[in-house]
Amino acid sequence: MNPWLLGTIVLVAAGLGPALWIGSRGEPTDRLVGLELGGVAVVLAMVSFSQAVDQPSYLIVPLVLALVSVAGILVYTRLLAPRR
Amino acid sequence: MTVLHALTLACYGAGVLVTGFSAVAALLLRDALDRLHLLTLATTLGVPLVGLGLVLKNGFSMTTAMVVFICVLLTLSGPVLTAATGKVAAQRHGLVDQESPQ
Repeated sequence: MNPWLLGTIVLVAAGLGPALWIGSRGEPTDRLVGLELGGVAVVLAMVSFSQAVDQPSYLIVPLVLALVSVAGILVYTRLLAPRR
Repeated sequence: MTVLHALTLACYGAGVLVTGFSAVAALLLRDALDRLHLLTLATTLGVPLVGLGLVLKNGFSMTTAMVVFICVLLTLSGPVLTAATGKVAAQRHGLVDQESPQ
């Protein structure tokens, strides 16, 4: 096991796990914070996994996820804003 | 183990630990506004450290360019998303006026 794969496992276990828990409970804004945390953890885990298996072409997945995640969260902040 | 290899692993390990710590600590807090502080820690400290570790590992290459682009995107968008989420949370809790630009 190389350090990159170990980092991937840590990011999924300690990053994505709590983010999923936060994102599935509580108020909508709490869930949104969980979604943001999960997005960061998954992007970093995918980048680390790409390094672990020595496949740079896999980096396109976290790149697209990072772009889509930003747009998606901004849409959620718009939808969750209180109505006037 | 060379100095560069040690520095690579130190930066990468610190970034992974900061990100993991942020997520676990966010789990222990109850308020969304408190959790946003930890999200900022992950995006502005954890992501650049992981990116720096990968850049030191790969050297000057296309892989480095992709990693840098992803990390810069996450680092720059993190404060924007945090501010937007904080504004929505404050509005929903009645802490700021809905018409307020802040």
